[in-house]
Amino acid sequence: MKKSLYIFIALAAMALTACEEFGPVFTGKYKNPEPTEDWIPVELEPTHTIAQLAAMYETGKPWQIDKDIIIAGKVSTTDKPGNFYKSFYIQDGTGGMEIKVGKNGLYNDYLPGQTVYINCNGLSLGMYGYKSGNYGGNGMVQIGYEDPTGEYETAYIENSFIINDHIFKGEYGDPVTPTVITEADLPSKNGTLSSCKYIGTLVTLKGLKYADQAFALLYLDSNKNTKESSNRIFLSDKRWGITTWAMSESKMKEYLYSGIWDSVNIGNANDYNYGTVADRRVVDSETGAVSYPGIEKAAYSVSQYFTMGSTEIQIRTSGYSKFADTEIDPEVLEGRKTIDATGILTLYQGSIQFILLDITGVEVVD
Amino acid sequence: MFRKLIVAFATVLCSATLLAQTGGVKGTVVNRSGRMPVQGAAVTLSLNGEKVASGNAGTDGKFLFEGLENGIYQMTVKAEGFNDVNVNVTVEGGFVKDLIFVSMVSTQTVKDVDDSSFIEFDMDDSGYTDNPAILFGSNDPYNNVAGYGFSAIRFKNRGYNNETQDVYLSGVKMNEAMTGYSPYSLWSGLNEATRSKETTIGNESSDCGVGGYNGITNILANPAAVRPGWRFSVLTNSALYRLRLMANYASGELDNGLSYAINVSARLGGNDWIKGVYYRSFAYYAGVEKKINDVHRITAYTFAAPGQRGAQNASTQEVYDLMGDNMYNSNWGYQNGKVRNARVRRTFEPVFVMKYTATPSDDLEASATFLYRTGFNGYSALDWYDAADPRPDYYRNLPSYYYLEDPDYGRQNLGKSLWANEMWTNRSSSYAKYQHIDWDRLYNVNYNSEGGRSKYALEERHVDQNDINLSGNVKWRASSLFTLTGGVDFKWNRTENYKVIKDLLGGQYYVDIDQFAERDFASSEALVQNDLDYWLQNGRKAQKVDVGDIYGYDYFAHIRRAGLWANGQFTVGGFTGNIALNAGYDSFWREGLVRKGLFAGLDDNGNEIVVDGKTLTTYDSNGKVITSKGKSDVARFFTYRAKLGAAYVFKGGHRISLNAGYFNDAPTFNQSFVSPRTRNTLTPNLTTQKTISTDLSYQFSNNGYNVRVTGFWTKIMDQTDMMSFYDDSQNSFTNFAMSGIDQRHAGIEVGAKIPLPLQGLSLSAVVSWGEYIYTSNPRMTQTIDNSSEVIFDNQEVPYWKSHPIYKRVTLEDGTKVFDVDVDGNPIVEKQQKHYVPSTPQLATHLALNYRTNSYWFFEINGQFYANSYLDMNPLYRTQMAVAGPDGIASPTEIEYMAAQEKFAPVFLLNASAGKSWYFQRKYNFGFSLELKNITNNRNVKTGGYEQTRLIDGAGADRYYRFDPKYFYMSGINYMLNIYFRF
Repeated sequence: MKKSLYIFIALAAMALTACEEFGPVFTGKYKNPEPTEDWIPVELEPTHTIAQLAAMYETGKPWQIDKDIIIAGKVSTTDKPGNFYKSFYIQDGTGGMEIKVGKNGLYNDYLPGQTVYINCNGLSLGMYGYKSGNYGGNGMVQIGYEDPTGEYETAYIENSFIINDHIFKGEYGDPVTPTVITEADLPSKNGTLSSCKYIGTLVTLKGLKYADQAFALLYLDSNKNTKESSNRIFLSDKRWGITTWAMSESKMKEYLYSGIWDSVNIGNANDYNYGTVADRRVVDSETGAVSYPGIEKAAYSVSQYFTMGSTEIQIRTSGYSKFADTEIDPEVLEGRKTIDATGILTLYQGSIQFILLDITGVEVVD
Repeated sequence: MFRKLIVAFATVLCSATLLAQTGGVKGTVVNRSGRMPVQGAAVTLSLNGEKVASGNAGTDGKFLFEGLENGIYQMTVKAEGFNDVNVNVTVEGGFVKDLIFVSMVSTQTVKDVDDSSFIEFDMDDSGYTDNPAILFGSNDPYNNVAGYGFSAIRFKNRGYNNETQDVYLSGVKMNEAMTGYSPYSLWSGLNEATRSKETTIGNESSDCGVGGYNGITNILANPAAVRPGWRFSVLTNSALYRLRLMANYASGELDNGLSYAINVSARLGGNDWIKGVYYRSFAYYAGVEKKINDVHRITAYTFAAPGQRGAQNASTQEVYDLMGDNMYNSNWGYQNGKVRNARVRRTFEPVFVMKYTATPSDDLEASATFLYRTGFNGYSALDWYDAADPRPDYYRNLPSYYYLEDPDYGRQNLGKSLWANEMWTNRSSSYAKYQHIDWDRLYNVNYNSEGGRSKYALEERHVDQNDINLSGNVKWRASSLFTLTGGVDFKWNRTENYKVIKDLLGGQYYVDIDQFAERDFASSEALVQNDLDYWLQNGRKAQKVDVGDIYGYDYFAHIRRAGLWANGQFTVGGFTGNIALNAGYDSFWREGLVRKGLFAGLDDNGNEIVVDGKTLTTYDSNGKVITSKGKSDVARFFTYRAKLGAAYVFKGGHRISLNAGYFNDAPTFNQSFVSPRTRNTLTPNLTTQKTISTDLSYQFSNNGYNVRVTGFWTKIMDQTDMMSFYDDSQNSFTNFAMSGIDQRHAGIEVGAKIPLPLQGLSLSAVVSWGEYIYTSNPRMTQTIDNSSEVIFDNQEVPYWKSHPIYKRVTLEDGTKVFDVDVDGNPIVEKQQKHYVPSTPQLATHLALNYRTNSYWFFEINGQFYANSYLDMNPLYRTQMAVAGPDGIASPTEIEYMAAQEKFAPVFLLNASAGKSWYFQRKYNFGFSLELKNITNNRNVKTGGYEQTRLIDGAGADRYYRFDPKYFYMSGINYMLNIYFRF
């Protein structure tokens, strides 16, 4: 009898001690991990400057980087206000470059001002926004991953493993200080980092005057082919009543339902065969409610046109940015006041596209 | 009482041949289904065919024979209304063998050799699962297997949902007020205290209520019904938790009429198969009962099963294949090198019961019960704000997101796919952060966050009930021909649903806003507030929440339910019949405790809410205000149930019974709101669920043969259902409220136990074979928690009950194409039915049992399951999903998108063995060992679900599905239970 009781106790004790699960699971208390120290792998000494790397790009030829190229720079942007999406820019003294990481909330892992090292071997160097011809020009050289579909010269890297294998976090630092530049410092439409070291860097442009023109591209249905002319509505050449930096979905509805876009043609400029926005207008006979079925209500990016001296500056803002619906000061819209703008200087089809980090980058000047 | 019995058996004792060393037999004759004493049962002992002794059990069912010489006796127990029991009893060493309980089976069910008087198998509390397929305590050969033996595969009896099982505790219906689920987890770990139960099957009624169409289980749980004496057990198993320790003591009824009982247990540890799944659960039960006199009896007891356990998550087959393990669990990761599960259920839900029973005469018994349930039930999950999705098996982390062979998926980046493949398949420890939750990273993000705002946090979703029940029952045996039972019951339930911050993961605070709304309504800070009133009253600042603070959502579910029922039973000779009726009134409503910016509703004075000149108040398509705060409309339903039953017992052990019922049941709270977390809007077309059900049984029980064959047919109409999924494209819950779901369940179940020529050897076979199908196309309303937009507004789901299969022809070159009629339209060959999911519609079990007179038992069994289907998502059965962006539904698209996955058939081999020993008349020691899934089949899907998302085809003319997610059964596993009792 006693024997069986001993066996019973022994078994219970064995079961208790033998199992690894009786750790924190048992107490329910987990120790907070130690903060990860800043670290730079010793072998990561930059081999090239950003400008040197950018110079290795040949127009129209995305390059699957097969050389041991390491660049380094400070993170100059943040995706926190939402105007940058899934990527960040780094800059060294020679210029700036966008790293198409492909994850949300990058500012959580790559803090503004933090030094980042890119082991480029295995990544892809390409240009976004190049357009040939008289009305075109250069876009921006970027680092991403190979896009086998050829739709873009580079794709987002996206995959955590590739990211961690190529993008290394260095020491934290103060956020990048913007450089105040003049009209003469601005790039030409075929500009590169060799000719203008401010491309892709954080700069302040002073005295921008509103050019009374906005641009946005709307779709009837983004689930369908967005390249089809019949699926596109261009708001261009005029202000079209857009008084905000961009438009969230609710703001877009507000503009649309007010009727200010009713005269806009549907289709590409050379293909106005699909009627106008007004043709989509439906008024409920009972409630009087207005709707526009068949036009996609969504957040849309807007370019607001300014001039710096005689140079056109498009300030382009994402409809998903948190300041999308911020109204531009009416006195600025009326041309009575100018603004100083701080953001990333980029080229898109030879035009200067200026991207604000946040609405705090806009300062109204009397 | 006991002394009287001894006197009663005096003559027996005197006539028995007394040897130098004589032993005895004692025990209590009880009703098998409920362990209630069977008074006056005739007990006869024979040795080698000769009658040695006989007598009658006392009013408490006890009997005692002494002065027996060593030998193997045949004991026969007979009682009116019960099948005879034949038991072999070994008397040796001069001890009085205590059989504890000799269970008798009511003639209403089939007789069986009674296991429990021989050995305590304890197979039904092996700890494998908290949710038995059915909770039957009877020894019906079918129910024994279906209830426990089929639970690992998640078998649903007759294909019915869990909530169709009516589970009572001391006569009070315990099914969850909000969902109707049977609440086994309330008393899990209290196997001893809840062992005594009364059960019925199918459409049968019981003494505690009319019941539904899937049986009634009434757990007695009063101290006097707990097996007297001490009992200790240690159980270890490898499929769920490592260790269970249990102790139990019950006094039995003492001379002063007092009974008391306690039961405590602990379930601890992880298992061999699913990492991150663990238990740290405890349980207690304490009760006291006083029999004041022959008329009055008072019972009070309380219990709870506090504790926590880590949960398992379903993943896609791609993930399982990459990990090389179908039991991969994406819920955990390493924190400082220790396994931590993000999804932990933490509960403490004590129940208090008081019962008064009056027995003014032998023919009349009445009782009144008060039951109160309170406490909390929390379930944790990761929450994050403006940061990357932390779940390791997020679809964008998988190779298939980057590359799929078919170019129409638009996933052609093979290079990235190979990197992703490496990330999942490399088994070195540095890759663990990709394959499991990377807790260390989450903490570091929070450490670095500006102002200490947590970007990642653990939330705990609470469903905290306050549940008060009053129930009165009466049983009146009017004559030998007629018995009337009846009762009234009332339920008051208020359940608070909310979430709190459980852990800030190294940060200082979390901000209570709706981030999805923030993305869509950048222009209005008011709209993104989860608690608009707080924001307005606190200088337009959203609340910073700390650990333990409520955030996100907070609402009461109020439920009131009252019912009245009666059941008349007639007995004439071999014929019994009954008619049972129930009428009830159900009402429920939602009461929002916070005002969400998106659904601001009207202010306390009934005015529209305007912030900064912008009206926040919105209205639905019927012009009704959409509101999150305050009382919703009250949903009210008149319910009723009616049942008829008849049975006839023929000579020679044959019995035929027929039961039928009609049920008009209210929908549950959870099925009735389009988005209960965010607004007061009730599901459209809310109506009662109507069910008609009938079953016909034939039973045969004689000479050790024990057979039951039942045919059943049930039609369920007008069901509503609410499916809520986390949709990462919306970063929010998306809700599908469906109404008008009809189902038909028809099938047969067979249970047979057949003695084989070798003594102690028997064969048992069980078959459950049915067809459980959908018979209607319901309507669906789809909403997203964080948007006022109604995506589908009460639209038909045209491919829910079936989808067409089109005729194909083979061309001369061998290619197959769809055949067309003269108008060029494809020809429908047949309609493919869609099935009620998540249970095998064919389940079979064949077992060989062997029992020895020295209390050994062995069993080996094989099980075969087939016709199990995956749970369907209504989105894939809509015209929108089938047709694709171009709006044209081609035969290829219909057959692809609407199809329902059928799981592969499964064969399982299991074996068990056990033995018990008796020491010094009073000690009983024993073990049982079970091996399950001996062939180590690790490809057994037990369920899963379809994701609710679509992939756009590159050609913009069709959609593709996301991969479904599955749960798998554990591979080979064991359970060892050792017990000791005295």
